[in-house]
Amino acid sequence: MTQLVTSVIEDPIVRTRNLNLYYSGAQALFNISMDFPRNQVTALIGPSGCGKSTLLRCLNRMNDLIIGVTVDGSILLEDIELDDPDLDVVELRRQVGMVFQKSNPFPNTIFENVVYGLRIAGMNNREELRVTCERSLQQAGLWDEVKDRLHESALGLSGGQQQRLCIARAIAINPQVVLMDEPCSALDPRSTARIEDLIAELREQYTIVIVTHNMQQAARVSDYTGFLYEGVLIEFGLTKKIFTKPNEKQTEDYITGRFG
Amino acid sequence: MSAEYRKRVKRWDRIATWVITGGGMAVIAAVILILLLIVRVAVPLFESQEARKFWGSSNPSTIEPDTVLAVGMDDYLETGVLLDRAGRFTFVNFADDSTIGEIVLEPPYESPSEILAAIPHHGLGYSLLWANGAASFARVVFSRDHHVDRPPTTAFRVDTLAEFAPPEDGLIPIRTVTRYHDGRATRADLLHDNRIRVTQEVEETDLFGNVSRDSHVSVLDPAVGGEIADIFVDTEGLALFAGTKDGYLMRWAMRRVGTIELTDSLLAFENNRAISTLSMVFGDVSLAVGDEQGGMTVWFPVRPDYDPQRRVLSHIHTLKSHRGPVTAISPSQRTKSLLSLGADGELHMDHMTSNKHLFGLRPESPIRKAALSSRANGIIGLDDAGRLNVWAIEGGYPEATWGTLFGKVWYENYDEPAFVWQSTGATNAFEPKTSLVPLVFGSFKGTLYAMLYAIPLALFGAIYTSQFTTARFRGVIKPAVEVMAALPSVVIGFLIALWLAPIVEVHIMPFAVSLAVFPACFLIFIVLWQPFRNLKLARHIERGYEFIAFIPIMLLAGVAAYFIGHFVEDMLFAGDFHRWLFEDAGRNYDQRNCIIIAFGLGFAVIPIIFSITEDSLSNVPQRLTAASMALGATRWQTVWRVVLPSASPCIFAAIMIGFGRAVGETMIVLMATGNTPLMEWSIFTGMRTLSANIAVEIPEAPVGGTLYRILFLSAVLLFILTSIVNTAAELVRQYLRKRYAQFQ
Repeated sequence: MTQLVTSVIEDPIVRTRNLNLYYSGAQALFNISMDFPRNQVTALIGPSGCGKSTLLRCLNRMNDLIIGVTVDGSILLEDIELDDPDLDVVELRRQVGMVFQKSNPFPNTIFENVVYGLRIAGMNNREELRVTCERSLQQAGLWDEVKDRLHESALGLSGGQQQRLCIARAIAINPQVVLMDEPCSALDPRSTARIEDLIAELREQYTIVIVTHNMQQAARVSDYTGFLYEGVLIEFGLTKKIFTKPNEKQTEDYITGRFG
Repeated sequence: MSAEYRKRVKRWDRIATWVITGGGMAVIAAVILILLLIVRVAVPLFESQEARKFWGSSNPSTIEPDTVLAVGMDDYLETGVLLDRAGRFTFVNFADDSTIGEIVLEPPYESPSEILAAIPHHGLGYSLLWANGAASFARVVFSRDHHVDRPPTTAFRVDTLAEFAPPEDGLIPIRTVTRYHDGRATRADLLHDNRIRVTQEVEETDLFGNVSRDSHVSVLDPAVGGEIADIFVDTEGLALFAGTKDGYLMRWAMRRVGTIELTDSLLAFENNRAISTLSMVFGDVSLAVGDEQGGMTVWFPVRPDYDPQRRVLSHIHTLKSHRGPVTAISPSQRTKSLLSLGADGELHMDHMTSNKHLFGLRPESPIRKAALSSRANGIIGLDDAGRLNVWAIEGGYPEATWGTLFGKVWYENYDEPAFVWQSTGATNAFEPKTSLVPLVFGSFKGTLYAMLYAIPLALFGAIYTSQFTTARFRGVIKPAVEVMAALPSVVIGFLIALWLAPIVEVHIMPFAVSLAVFPACFLIFIVLWQPFRNLKLARHIERGYEFIAFIPIMLLAGVAAYFIGHFVEDMLFAGDFHRWLFEDAGRNYDQRNCIIIAFGLGFAVIPIIFSITEDSLSNVPQRLTAASMALGATRWQTVWRVVLPSASPCIFAAIMIGFGRAVGETMIVLMATGNTPLMEWSIFTGMRTLSANIAVEIPEAPVGGTLYRILFLSAVLLFILTSIVNTAAELVRQYLRKRYAQFQ
């Protein structure tokens, strides 16, 4: 077995302990114990198939949607055990929002997209929906671009705008943690830069976990970085340190582009 | 890549393009061709009937026109006949314009050879009044002999069927109607003192062969109505009609010999318009009335609102008016058409049922006497100059108009105008009733009930299979449902008509109760299930296999419905729902009804809707459902707010394809609807659909006949209906697709 990396961070918001995950018997995550710091940006890096998206999805139980996934170990969000069959998954997902690799707005208006999370929670007060919509869009830096066409289809937006709309949608329900699964991989450099600026701003209010293939991006936006390789957390620490003086040879090789 | 290879690839690409384009175009062409072929058969239905001048004698007849009492013609439009006052029938050959024979009648009862009045009837029969008051009923018979070596020849003779002695009271009438039918001779005389004398003679043969004769004379004196203008007796001598110059119509029933009762006496026209001539439309139900102002009306007895016990002669149809008084009416003996002659010498041909004016004939010299041939294929007319004119009637379908096909029509023996489909009857004189409205109604009624049953089942089934169950179970259930679609509809029709229908008939109440019991049990089960959801054992079966735990509950519900149903029937309907329905609710219970059809058509439609819906739901991108889930939506919220709207264009298309299938389905409805063209919404009665109607009637429809063409017209209608439904569906689908477009 590989070595166990345990990073100790003061007042983490999410902690995993000895997390193992199996896809229909095939193990995908090995003994992950990791702390995610509060109100910081944590980047997960690693070659394709190393399990970083799987780890991300453990944090809001999206893996439930995949048939045949079994998990053991422990995931704690503010001392609440997430890997508990009796846990209210719906409530968890309201606390831990998610932004996907490809923008996925619903085929509906911009307004309805943003307030979707509120509507399914049963809120129908128009004024409150409107206020939340404006606040979320402003936080996502999209308000000025779309304020005149809130009731037009979200599918008319550009790819970058759509991704920011998805971020607005995720933060409209005021989660504690926002998970981002390669949010810029389908975007052009300009849009990527906007999203990266946005992530920097959102750090004030939310804890962000971002999976990325882009080393520069990880270096630019994150405070902490975890490197996974074949389902194992190889190294975790301050981004500066990982990118300048990694402890592990594998980390150094990956960052410098010798494999992966 | 070598240039040679690239050329080959391009060549294949071009060939493929041509083949695919050609194939697609051929399909479109084939559909259009089929439509054109059907339309081509249906279109002549709306061609008008025409009379083509066939022959006209070049020389005036040797007979003085004023002495001619009647004219007639054979069915081959070869020989004409004239009857003159001397009691002589003169036969004229049209081909060479020559007189080919004369037959002089032997006057009955030693009368002088002079006929005072003659009334022509159908089939070349004539009521003759002789100078001494005697009367007879004579008939001209043409017989055609076929030969091997030369063209067929026509022979003719005149039969005298009945003779009446001069009246004992010596009163010579103005005119006399004589009838002879099945041993019963009837004579009605219009007397100079405005009375009617009826003589009935019956000849009966008893079991031992003894012939007895019975004769009755009655004199009728209509106190009101003024001077009688014309009298008429129906073919069998069962009813007598009279019309007066003050516009009164009277009817006497003569069903039993010796008893004559006045059944109707009414003012026909408010303005006392004088009636000039009477006749009966083919079938002896309707009375055709011609008046002095040229009006042509048709009357028959109808049950009035104020007294449903009796029937009152009522004004039903109004045909095209003549310019002058109507002088004679000659009904067709094939259809409900009427040939009428005006005082101005103009002939009109009208159809009673459709009120359609078929054509008018106005030759240079006015026509004085006219008659239709027996087969109603020709008209012979004698003009003022004594020349004979012959017209051949060609083409046209007088009984079919937009009005009779799609409007309410007042048919004989009906109390009010109605939409009726009844294309054939027991007698030749039957009035065909060809309204397509009950058939369109039946198509929609059957489809509606089928869709009511099929849509919820198919949609919920598809949602469950696609969104809530496991992939393995989906892999079993989907092909299984698709196999349902492969079941021949004749098998479905057979099963539901012969197996299911009798069962539902007996257990109708349990069936009705089960509509409430099943959902109730379902809800109770879900409530009871909640505490067990989180048990270890329950969690194993829960996802996707809940229905297994549900099967015994449904069986229990079925048993419960059976007992509750029969209990309810005993309590509320005295143990016999059908009798209650008939006696208290006034409705029929047909064994083959909409419940049966809903099952049968539903069974055919469910696989289509299910399969397309399931595909479209499963094809909603995973990232949309994931986005919804990640925002804290439950599975049901995700289905309701994301999956269903995204899949709605396809779901809509699925329903419409199912609808199209149900409208056009033939075998199931043919076997299980009872094919009664009713127009009522009751779920307990059957219907007749457009498609089943075509299947039922086309084998019996003479090729090129009215019914044949109407059936093709209903095929066009079916085609148009499904096109409208499909076009509307496509428009809605386009709109939904634009609205819920899935951005890639």
